[in-house]
Amino acid sequence: MQASRVVRALQQARLSTAHGTANPSEIAHFSRLSSQWWDEKGEFGFLHKMNPVRVQFIRQKLLEVFREEGNSERTSEMGIIDGLDVLDVGCGGGLLSESLARLGARTLGVDASESNIAIAKIHASADPKLDTLSYLHAPAEALLESPKRYDVVCSMEVLEHVDNPASFLSTCAELVKPGGHLFLSTISRTPLSYILTILLAEDILRKVSQGTHTYSKFIKPSELVSFFQEHRSTQEIFQLSKSWISPHCPPDAPPRTEAEIRGLIYHPLQAKWTLAPRHAWGATDCNYIFWVRKPSLDP
Amino acid sequence: MFAPTSSRVYYVTAKRYTTRLPVHRAISTYEEYDVAIIGGGPAGLALASALGSSQVIQKKLRVVLIDAGDLSKVRNWSPPPGTFSNRVVSLTNSSQTFLREIGAWDHVEASRTSPMEEMQVWDGVSDARLKFSATEIGLDVSEDGMARLTEILNLQRGLLRRLEGFSNIKICDKMKVQTITRDSEERGGWPMVHLESSQVLRARLLVGADGFNSPVRSYAGVPSFGWSYDRQGIVATMVHAPRGAFEGPNTTAYQRFLPTGPIAFLPLSPTISSLVWSNRPHIASALIGSGPDVLANMINAAFRLPEVSLRYLFNRIVEAYSKGNPLSGSEIQREIFWREQSHSVDPNSAFASAMVKTREGVPPVDSQFVPPLVSMIQAGSVASFPLKFNHAESYIGEGIGGRTVLVGDAAHTVHPLAGQGLNMGIGDVESLTRCIHNALIQGGDVGSYTALQPYARERYLANHSLMAAVDKLHKLYTTTSEPVVWARSVGIEILNELDSVKAAIMTVAGAQNSKIHSDMTGWNFAAKGVESFVATAQVAKTLSGGLSGIIDTGLHNLLGRR
Ligand SMILES: Cc1cc2nc3c(=O)[nH]c(=O)nc-3n(C[C@H](O)[C@H](O)[C@H](O)COP(=O)(O)OP(=O)(O)OC[C@H]3O[C@@H](n4cnc5c(N)ncnc54)[C@H](O)[C@@H]3O)c2cc1C
Repeated sequence: MQASRVVRALQQARLSTAHGTANPSEIAHFSRLSSQWWDEKGEFGFLHKMNPVRVQFIRQKLLEVFREEGNSERTSEMGIIDGLDVLDVGCGGGLLSESLARLGARTLGVDASESNIAIAKIHASADPKLDTLSYLHAPAEALLESPKRYDVVCSMEVLEHVDNPASFLSTCAELVKPGGHLFLSTISRTPLSYILTILLAEDILRKVSQGTHTYSKFIKPSELVSFFQEHRSTQEIFQLSKSWISPHCPPDAPPRTEAEIRGLIYHPLQAKWTLAPRHAWGATDCNYIFWVRKPSLDP
Repeated sequence: MFAPTSSRVYYVTAKRYTTRLPVHRAISTYEEYDVAIIGGGPAGLALASALGSSQVIQKKLRVVLIDAGDLSKVRNWSPPPGTFSNRVVSLTNSSQTFLREIGAWDHVEASRTSPMEEMQVWDGVSDARLKFSATEIGLDVSEDGMARLTEILNLQRGLLRRLEGFSNIKICDKMKVQTITRDSEERGGWPMVHLESSQVLRARLLVGADGFNSPVRSYAGVPSFGWSYDRQGIVATMVHAPRGAFEGPNTTAYQRFLPTGPIAFLPLSPTISSLVWSNRPHIASALIGSGPDVLANMINAAFRLPEVSLRYLFNRIVEAYSKGNPLSGSEIQREIFWREQSHSVDPNSAFASAMVKTREGVPPVDSQFVPPLVSMIQAGSVASFPLKFNHAESYIGEGIGGRTVLVGDAAHTVHPLAGQGLNMGIGDVESLTRCIHNALIQGGDVGSYTALQPYARERYLANHSLMAAVDKLHKLYTTTSEPVVWARSVGIEILNELDSVKAAIMTVAGAQNSKIHSDMTGWNFAAKGVESFVATAQVAKTLSGGLSGIIDTGLHNLLGRR
């Protein structure tokens, strides 16, 4: 019975083929690596270590919003994400998706790489506690065809790999319910990020396969803020005229109720990631996580 | 530096006693658990209680605890009034605080525990002595004492009572774990626990709280290293007269370091105390084999007589015992009496024990230097355990031994001279519980390496430095290495000044509350102190030639470090 579940998972993973914003040569690269996804001390070890910090930020940010709105059901330690519709775009082997599902979210993980989805499905099938988790091999764009929208959309360490970030961001934005949340994590384009992620990690220490990152694709936090200052919804029935982030705020300091940028700092001695304090100087020069909220329908 | 004279270093290279099941013969019926704890000793039961008393964990995880023994005997343990079990531990204040936090301490029968308000430790060769009291060492709550002496059974029973309230924690006792296998690769390779009853449990996280011979440790493929001390720890429940007027209550613990190993007197009630006496195996078996009368007399002597006389008495006992004609109580009493006379021990002094019947009225002036005279050993309370040092190389299994974690004696076994074995285990449980809680609220998989790593980080070095210091203290006092023996005989008076030993003893006493970092420095400091003591001893010995001035200088240099 278990074996047939795995076979089914594999068949489903083969259902759709992808094109869209995901770059074919990068997909091939990650497919090669995807079997190593769940080796916590392997090449993706840094993601395994980073994952709890991402979840921490998601929980903290949602908790802050729920508190402000007086939503007392959602302010208990385990109730923050419980029962929400969550989409994980570029879910890879399912690291974040599994965590969110374990916290009770109805989670859908999508990835343009077929083998990532296969690995993610096999891994999740071994765990009896992931019944709110499903996976789909598809580019994010494909989801726009369905009317389904999500309370929370996450896309972690994906933006720096896509060919058309503006289009990718619009897609993610469309998939968020009005009043919902978008979380992104990526790498900034600074001399520091070049040294750490490409020169050191790929070329010198060889901790990450060469060719994993392309410097020119790195996006600065202020560029994300600017994007959401200008972004307007196009496909939705309700024409949301409001911008997501007030157009007049400085792009490095958006209002805290609309967006937030936090650095993710790696401490080599403790082999551990932490969330940098708000506005810590230079903290967002390399890895950072970004939250923005879609305006609600009511005026 | 300390050539382990009598101890043999051994490496336990973990042998996997598991066979990988072929994939096609997948096990069809099994129960799923998030946490399977193997071992219902104090560490395993404390972990189960801690997991149960956390709201988050209680809601999210299904927990099972397996033990080979009959835990209902522990649950229904009701010792006849006035008797005490022979396995007693000193629980530090931080262990007690944790047990209180998880709601277990209320179920431990307080009237069977005793505070340790003072502690006296002295060297058997030079008689240099250290004395601590709870107030002296600046404890926050000095009325609780430096630690609380508690029977392990009282603690285990309390934990079992606490566990009765939890619905998500299942206890399977009288159930031996037969083998542990690994689920198929496709199914994530989770541990499958096969019980005697042919039930199978599939575990997200398998906890080894299964003691020194941990089956979980061998499944995990974690090697451990250590050595046997070539010492037996004799335990017994001792009966004695209550402390007299002007003497204060029976709340002082005594420990004398003899070259054969330390002897400790741990108070339990006004008239009952517990013995932990580590001794050479042949002496231990002769002492036990000669009967409780001889043992009682020898306990009294071991706290009082000069070391040379004890050596003589041990020889007498061993010789008679090996000839199949053990000494009787009155014979050994007479022997002790002669030794006392030859050392001109004043019969009115507290250091006389042989011919003293009962002391009434005003006690001897020196009575607080030695424990009360033992009049009797509680029937059936004598037992002994081999003493060893053993430390797993890692607390978390990896790769094909993944989803496993070790706590308590499964992870580490230490010499009992510092009374820290179980306290370390409780510290493990506290840290692992926090780690599981943190992983859960971040949506983590509590069996994953990422989730468990903080536990190993928090505990491994802290435990290791404590164990190393305890090991060094044992060797310092039992080594036959000549310069060290010599230095101890002339220079041990410096003990009072030796910050490091003091730091160790204070940690022993539980004076440093729960802060891991201060624990670590205390123990590191202690180990370093012992090392530099020995180094100084060797230098001083080389330079000596009857030059006491140089010895003084050498020892002063040691003190000059402050
Ligand atoms: C002489 C002496 C004095 C000591 N004094 C002190 C002191 O003063 N202070 C202190 O803190 N510590 C002291 N200790 C240490 C302390 O007793 C131990 O550290 C403690 O008992 C260990 O508890 P544990 O739960 O880790 O292991 P254990 O008590 O060894 O429990 C292991 C359990 O696992 C079960 N088990 C094993 N294999 C299987 C299997 N295959 N299937 C099912 N069940 C299994 C066993 O039945 C057992 O119940 C002393 C030790 C000795 C020897």
